[in-house]
Amino acid sequence: MKATEGTTYRMLQTNLDRVTNRLQDLRQEGATGIKLSKPSDDPSAIRPVLTTRTQIMHTERYLETMGITLDKMQSTDGHLEHVENILQRVKEITINAINGAMSDEDMTIFADEVAQMKQEMLDAANAQVDGKYIFAGYEENVIPFVRNPNYNPDPLVPVPPPYDPADSTTWPYLYNGTPNPFELEITPGEQLESNITGNDLFLGVSNTNWVDSTTPAAGQPEADRIDIFSVLERTEEALRARNIDDATGPGGGLQAKLDELELAANQNRRLRSQLGNRASRVDAAMLHQEDVKIDLEQILSRYQDADAIETFNEIVKQETAFQAALNITSKVSKISILDYF
Amino acid sequence: MAGLFTALNAGKTALSVNQKSIEIIGNNISNVNTEGYSRQSASLSPYPSMNFGSFFVGQGVVVSNVERDHDVFVNNMLQEKSVEFGLQDGQTRALSELERIFTISEENISTEINRYFDSWQELSANPSGLVERDIVIQRGELLAEKFHLTIDDLTKVKDNINDSIVSKIDDVNSKMAEIAELNDRIFTIEIQGQTANGSRDRRDILARELATSLGAKTYEDNKGMLAVILPNGLPLVQGVMAMEIEAVPNGSELDLELHAGGTTKPLDINSLGGEFEGLVHIRDQFIPSIKDDLDRLAYEIIEAVNTAHAAGAGLDTPATSRNFFTPNPAPAPPGDPWEDAARNIAVALTDSNHVAAAAFPTPPATVSPGDNRNALIISNLGEQNIINGVDTFGAYYGKVTAQVGIESNMNQLALGGAEDAMVQLQNLRDGLSGVSLEEEMISLIQFQRGFESSAKFLSTVDEMMASLMQLKR
Repeated sequence: MKATEGTTYRMLQTNLDRVTNRLQDLRQEGATGIKLSKPSDDPSAIRPVLTTRTQIMHTERYLETMGITLDKMQSTDGHLEHVENILQRVKEITINAINGAMSDEDMTIFADEVAQMKQEMLDAANAQVDGKYIFAGYEENVIPFVRNPNYNPDPLVPVPPPYDPADSTTWPYLYNGTPNPFELEITPGEQLESNITGNDLFLGVSNTNWVDSTTPAAGQPEADRIDIFSVLERTEEALRARNIDDATGPGGGLQAKLDELELAANQNRRLRSQLGNRASRVDAAMLHQEDVKIDLEQILSRYQDADAIETFNEIVKQETAFQAALNITSKVSKISILDYF
Repeated sequence: MAGLFTALNAGKTALSVNQKSIEIIGNNISNVNTEGYSRQSASLSPYPSMNFGSFFVGQGVVVSNVERDHDVFVNNMLQEKSVEFGLQDGQTRALSELERIFTISEENISTEINRYFDSWQELSANPSGLVERDIVIQRGELLAEKFHLTIDDLTKVKDNINDSIVSKIDDVNSKMAEIAELNDRIFTIEIQGQTANGSRDRRDILARELATSLGAKTYEDNKGMLAVILPNGLPLVQGVMAMEIEAVPNGSELDLELHAGGTTKPLDINSLGGEFEGLVHIRDQFIPSIKDDLDRLAYEIIEAVNTAHAAGAGLDTPATSRNFFTPNPAPAPPGDPWEDAARNIAVALTDSNHVAAAAFPTPPATVSPGDNRNALIISNLGEQNIINGVDTFGAYYGKVTAQVGIESNMNQLALGGAEDAMVQLQNLRDGLSGVSLEEEMISLIQFQRGFESSAKFLSTVDEMMASLMQLKR
């Protein structure tokens, strides 16, 4: 065995190649900050990286959806507060009408004010957010509450059928929406109702019982539920007829209305607090998802990001090796047997 | 006097032998950087001695042979390692191209799949929005486009592999022909008792190159001719006869055929080795398996989305069940149902009103614009383990990419190993057969001195003869 020119230079060449290749990879790593740039860099990390990226994308979408949901819930809550105030005011009027010795003119003024309140209630029920009716279920572009043309307050007139608390088609206002609350996915697999349907809130008909405006809802009246519009309509009728306590007279008597108004206010409060609970659930879920996002980004980083310090250390190490290799190469070329002849 | 003439003759042989040796050294130095050159040296032997009275006295020196430093073992090792090196080297370029196609940067099929299902999620928050509906269709089209692009890229890699096979075939054929010629020349030279050193060196190199490209094996017959055969035993060179390999286009495919003495034999992957085997392996085995996986992925997406989409309804009346993607045409048996799905995937919907975000209504009810139930169902498909019940769409793509990564990673390791082994073996060969300048310089001095002393010897004999001549005046 002997060391020939060929072996010496091949050895130098191979080592220089090796070091420069390694340096190139390291510089790429240092410049991009990413150690996983080709599938072959770490095949086992590909699946976790892709899955984590998918999850991050989902989380961002959930956060956006929840943001929109929360906005909608807040504006819904504003309308519910308004409903509460209206019911409060009508109750005050009713108590006033029962207690005080009011003149006929006063009673008419009260009745007019209740009619006004009824109109406000209708406005609240037909409220829109973003151009869509919020209490209309899925029929977000159809005005949900309209006056019932066949409303007949007088039980003595048989046609059209007079007001009957058990028959939703005889009530003063009809609901044209659907009984479907709008559901959104806020975390994987968890769907949350982001609104309240009009039938539930204003008519006191639970979603399972409601069919449509031309079909009488099943099981009416439901326990502890009441049609808010009927209460306002009939309070107005009672005021106009100055009917304080005749349960069979027009409007069913103001005394009875007082209890019904309380029931209506409770119905509103109950749904409002349900909505509030859901809003706080969304709030909590948002915080949670933000944490999740940070965690996911940490995981992703662990798989694909280069450790800067380690990379730079390694670059310095390889550069030293490169210099050494170059140095040796120049020394080899300097020394030759030909100098000794 | 006769003795002096003999001495003169001995001096003459010494002069020419030293001169010859210096010529050989010069030749060695000239070829110090010639690839595959084996150092040559003169083997010297004394002239047959003559009986001189009661002694045997030598008659000078003669170059009995010019030999090359050669080791069959190292040469065979080099040739065998070349096969492994060629096999890995042939795959490297195609694999690095595949790695570019199956990228893990932010833009890949998995991202498009995510974006597509994300667009459904977006739609579920605003089911009546026409913009959101349009986005769903566009995202579907982009996803289909991404599949098409990837399949096109795979086809391009196959085409490039075919191109490089075609370009290598001429080279391989000319090498086989040259070996046949060299066989002839070596036989003619060596039958006269000489050694065809240069031709043998050249033939060794050609054999190694054929081992790299075709995985060819060689053996020498009793006439000193090199027989070259393919790994499965088909002959490439026999004696002075060289066969020919031909690339025959077959539709979009490229078949290899061997024309061996009047018969034509097809060459499949089992009959090839080295670089050709690597190229054909990627072309006929690896890429088709990757393509099959992509087809499967596209097919499962089409099926899952279509099933869920047909269960819902768009905004138009009357409510109609529609497919979102064009279903993959059923292939002729025994093809898998997903055959070519990645190439065929296309969005069937054109009208954004037909995007089925709503649950299918029970007649006579109609679809409400705010109904997002079906959008929620479809947006969830992306998270379900639909493929074989264990993989989500994104994870399945990850698996395919990991396959490419593993294959490429193994190739890099194996290629590095083969390269190291080649370097070591080449160093070993050079250590035995290569030219060392130091060695040659020292031999140069040695033979120069030999030449000088022979000349001195001749002048001494000349002086002696002159002395003899002066005896008689």
